[in-house]
Amino acid sequence: MTADHNNPSPPQGQRPPFPPSAPSGPTAVTGLPVFTSQARTTPEPLAEAFTRSPAPVRSLYIHIPFCAHRCHYCDFYSIVDTRDRAEPFISRLIEELRAQAPAAQGQPLETIFIGGGTPTLLPVPLWDRLLTALDSLYDLSLMRTGMGEWTVECNPETATAELFDRLARGGINRLSMGAQSFNQTLLDKLDRRHNPDNVYRALDLAKQAGIERTSIDLIFAIPGQTLEQWDADIRTALDLGTTHLSAYALTYEPNTPLTARLRRGEFEPAAEDTEVEMFEHAGRVLAGAGLPRYEVSNFAAEGQECRHNLAYWRQDPWLAAGPSASGHLLAPGGLAAGSHRWKNTPRLDTYLDHSHRGFAPVNDHEPPEPPRLIAETLMTGLRLREGVDRTGLLARTEALGLAEALRQAAKEHEDSGMLVVDAGRWVLSDSGLLFADGIASDLMAAVL
Amino acid sequence: MQIRNFSIIAHIDHGKSTLADRLLQATNAVTDREAKEQLLDSMELERERGITIKASAVTVFHTHNGEQYMLNFIDTPGHVDFGYEVSRALKACEGALLVVDAAQGVEAQTVVNTYLAVAQDVDIMPVLNKIDLPGAQPEEVAMEVEQVLGLPAEDCMLVSAKTGQGIPELLTAICERFPAPRKSLIPEARALIFDAIYDDYRGVVIYIRVFDGTIKVGDKIRMMGLERTHQITELGKYTPKPTKVKQLGAGEAGYLVAAIKTLADVRVGDTITSELNPAAEPLEGYEPPRQMVFCDLYPATTTKKGTDFEDMRDAIEKLSINDASFTSQTVHSEALGFGFRCGFLGLLHMDIVQERLEREFDLEIVQTAPTVSYKVDIRGKGGEITEIEVHNPADLPDMGSVMAIKEPIARVEIMVPKEYIGDIMKLALERRGIYKTQTYVSETRELLTFEIPLAELIFDFYDKLKSTTAGYGTMDYELSEYRQDNLCKVDVLINGEPVEALSLITHRDKSEARGRSLLVRLRKQIPRHQFEIPLQAAIGGKIIARETIKGFRKDVTAKCYGGDVSRKRKLLDKQRKGKDRMKSIGSVSIPQEAFMAVLDVGE
Ligand SMILES: Nc1nc2c(ncn2[C@@H]2O[C@H](COP(=O)(O)OP(=O)(O)OP(=O)(O)O)[C@@H](O)[C@H]2O)c(=O)[nH]1
Ligand code: SF4
Ligand SMILES: [Mg+2]
Repeated sequence: MTADHNNPSPPQGQRPPFPPSAPSGPTAVTGLPVFTSQARTTPEPLAEAFTRSPAPVRSLYIHIPFCAHRCHYCDFYSIVDTRDRAEPFISRLIEELRAQAPAAQGQPLETIFIGGGTPTLLPVPLWDRLLTALDSLYDLSLMRTGMGEWTVECNPETATAELFDRLARGGINRLSMGAQSFNQTLLDKLDRRHNPDNVYRALDLAKQAGIERTSIDLIFAIPGQTLEQWDADIRTALDLGTTHLSAYALTYEPNTPLTARLRRGEFEPAAEDTEVEMFEHAGRVLAGAGLPRYEVSNFAAEGQECRHNLAYWRQDPWLAAGPSASGHLLAPGGLAAGSHRWKNTPRLDTYLDHSHRGFAPVNDHEPPEPPRLIAETLMTGLRLREGVDRTGLLARTEALGLAEALRQAAKEHEDSGMLVVDAGRWVLSDSGLLFADGIASDLMAAVL
Repeated sequence: MQIRNFSIIAHIDHGKSTLADRLLQATNAVTDREAKEQLLDSMELERERGITIKASAVTVFHTHNGEQYMLNFIDTPGHVDFGYEVSRALKACEGALLVVDAAQGVEAQTVVNTYLAVAQDVDIMPVLNKIDLPGAQPEEVAMEVEQVLGLPAEDCMLVSAKTGQGIPELLTAICERFPAPRKSLIPEARALIFDAIYDDYRGVVIYIRVFDGTIKVGDKIRMMGLERTHQITELGKYTPKPTKVKQLGAGEAGYLVAAIKTLADVRVGDTITSELNPAAEPLEGYEPPRQMVFCDLYPATTTKKGTDFEDMRDAIEKLSINDASFTSQTVHSEALGFGFRCGFLGLLHMDIVQERLEREFDLEIVQTAPTVSYKVDIRGKGGEITEIEVHNPADLPDMGSVMAIKEPIARVEIMVPKEYIGDIMKLALERRGIYKTQTYVSETRELLTFEIPLAELIFDFYDKLKSTTAGYGTMDYELSEYRQDNLCKVDVLINGEPVEALSLITHRDKSEARGRSLLVRLRKQIPRHQFEIPLQAAIGGKIIARETIKGFRKDVTAKCYGGDVSRKRKLLDKQRKGKDRMKSIGSVSIPQEAFMAVLDVGE
């Protein structure tokens, strides 16, 4: 992953075509639900939703599905392109961006995130086309003044002065750098192929190009990693002057080479105690350096939080283009009416070959359901240190006759001290944050 | 017309059903086109597992020496659990074809089935099957038949049920060597009910063998044991298509329909007579089947509406309509809620019932570990001793009042290649077996007889036998008696709370090892919680083993999967569903598989 991948990029890993002659029907070899990467249609109600948004959509995610090499832990959709599909991809992407543009209702975008894959692998002329098209389709005025946030994920190997220059001119004002670790041995364990020295170089180039805001991605709980090594990685990132840091515990996703190797017993995963220790250590050190945790895996200096990600986690609507990208649109009645969620088909060829009035083929469309949106609010909101709006949620659940159940479910965790009621909000305590999934799941079950 | 009634009996997979196919074909009962493999195995489960579960009776016609013969025959199940079906099939016959695989030779069940046939006084004709196989050794196997079963080697018929070789000769022998049915002893009608099945369209279909007199469509009949009367609406024979007839005379077998709604209204082994002109005495019947293995079945999920138990009750009622050999009664367990205590003929039977419930009724079931039935002497308050039957360790009264626990003992026949005798002796001893006899079978094999507690047999004894003998050993068993031993109940406590559904009865000498290995298994099955969970095994309050499940320290994924909120939600949802399927003991969630952990502690 190039950069803050773990964050905004829509994942749902690319599922390798395995077995070659897979039996038909939804029974996977792995026993996991088979994911139909073959969807070729855009549901009409979804296509409609782009023109019926109750308010202008202010955020946009773009997925660039190319990488120079597939890292062993990664399950984002990306491919090593051997058939020169970058150019047709950009054309198709622009077509999709054009189809979605009416949802912005002529208003300026507030956040854009271009992730992948490795967006910086695109040659400058293609960036040129993309940036020009964006400029003509959307109002990017806030980006130029710095009031908007426009992030591009960057692989340290691909950084060049020419590219960064073009990005800066296009309005990009934030880079998310996929460092993962500064320790070559640990990078090798992840099968991540970049030279750690290039991170320094890339950050320098960014500064020269005038891109001031940067974020660094780190991974911890890598097999064999010691607490000292983790501490060194954090301090190196801080020394580089970053104001935003994402620190992810290594996750063994299904259908990744790393997970396969784990199953074969090729290595010992980090012990849970070690992982928790590293999690807490990061919180302490970074808070001490002025970058407190604002989400389970994210840390920032004041005002430097990733606004695009916050939009996701606060249930704001956003547009999403490119294979495997997932987006969110509110239903005409606003929050209370629920929202559409969709995910584009994660397959480049399908994406290139199919278009419904410019829209991408969609794998999964979830039409609005008010209780679902409430559950999702709890799920992503409780991961934030700011928590969720308890008063607002209770009012919305009241209307659905679910408030009592939600209160009951919350009570158990309030009693244990993991969930705290604070100024009309539900906030997880420090210890509660380590159990965010379980607690969210209990609360979600009350409304679903 | 001449009549011959016979059963086909054999060790499992020696080719009974295939031989039945050939007999149907050779007598033109089915055309070559209609013939499919194991035609009589009509249940879906039978076809899938390639085994016979229910005996089926058919009638075919054959001309021999210019005379017409009506041949009524019954294909029987080979698995030991269904030995009861074999006995009752034999009761309706004068002859038995004892099929022996000419490549494998006499096996344990061949021996036990021969005992059954001898006990029923039927004529046995040994048939060496699969002579087409390159490994077939008909001469040697004929010698085994003589050595072990005491049937003259020269009486063996040689056939291949696959190629049809020897089938005409076999038909001739059936006509010539099997006795004709006995003549009516009395003028009044008497027919033996040897089986009954439930059919969705016609209700209960009763299989009968007429011994005396004649019964006709329209007759008012009486079941002498149950003292119920019915009117016959249909009589017929399976040829193998159901073919209606007007009447069935002495010596004939066929089916009877009389608007009977449930199998509970029919008792296999009962005698049917005419209501208007009844016989004075019933025919000799049989004992009802004995349930040997018991377990509890609970609904796996408890929906908010709590309808699962009701659904399960319906399903069990429907199933007992067509399987009269399993029993059920409502139970309640602290951990698992409401469910059913069920009794089965054996482990395979248990498996089959569970599978049918899940498959035919779309139920998800939690099954507790199987146990046997114990007879327990308890002393009452006044000092009087009473004997009770206990089908579940949870029902065992306080050990203070227990004077004696008696357990079922099986007489086990094991056929093994000579080189494994030592290993089998060791296995049997480990299972508290008592060695009885050893019989020479052939140069290479011996027949060993043991007495082994049934409870020890149901803990993977069969699997152990197979793995110890590279698959060559075979076994069969019959229940012989109840015997007292130094047995005790081991309780299991999870997080300090006793879990009745996990308790077990075991020999005191083995209690510690069993308790410990059960806890180890539970430790692997129960997911970690936010807190530490102690697991304990205890006898009457005294802790004999202990394990701990460490608490987990985090439950949060690093990624929020970016904008793919749906994915994350679905992931949590799936975990939640997994959790909902678990049962709660206090604040501990226990997966259903854990309740089966008791099953595996046999070693
Ligand atoms: N080569 C050969 N195979 C045979 C012959 N007879 C049966 N088989 C095969 O042996 C296997 C078992 O045959 P079945 O007829 O199902 O045996 P069964 O005794 O009815 O089995 P259960 O009902 O389960 O006890 C099948 O795979 C048959 O195809 C034979 O004469 N020759
Ligand atoms: S393969 Fe590596 S570079 Fe490509 S998206 Fe995944 S983590 Fe980033
Ligand atoms: Mg059979």
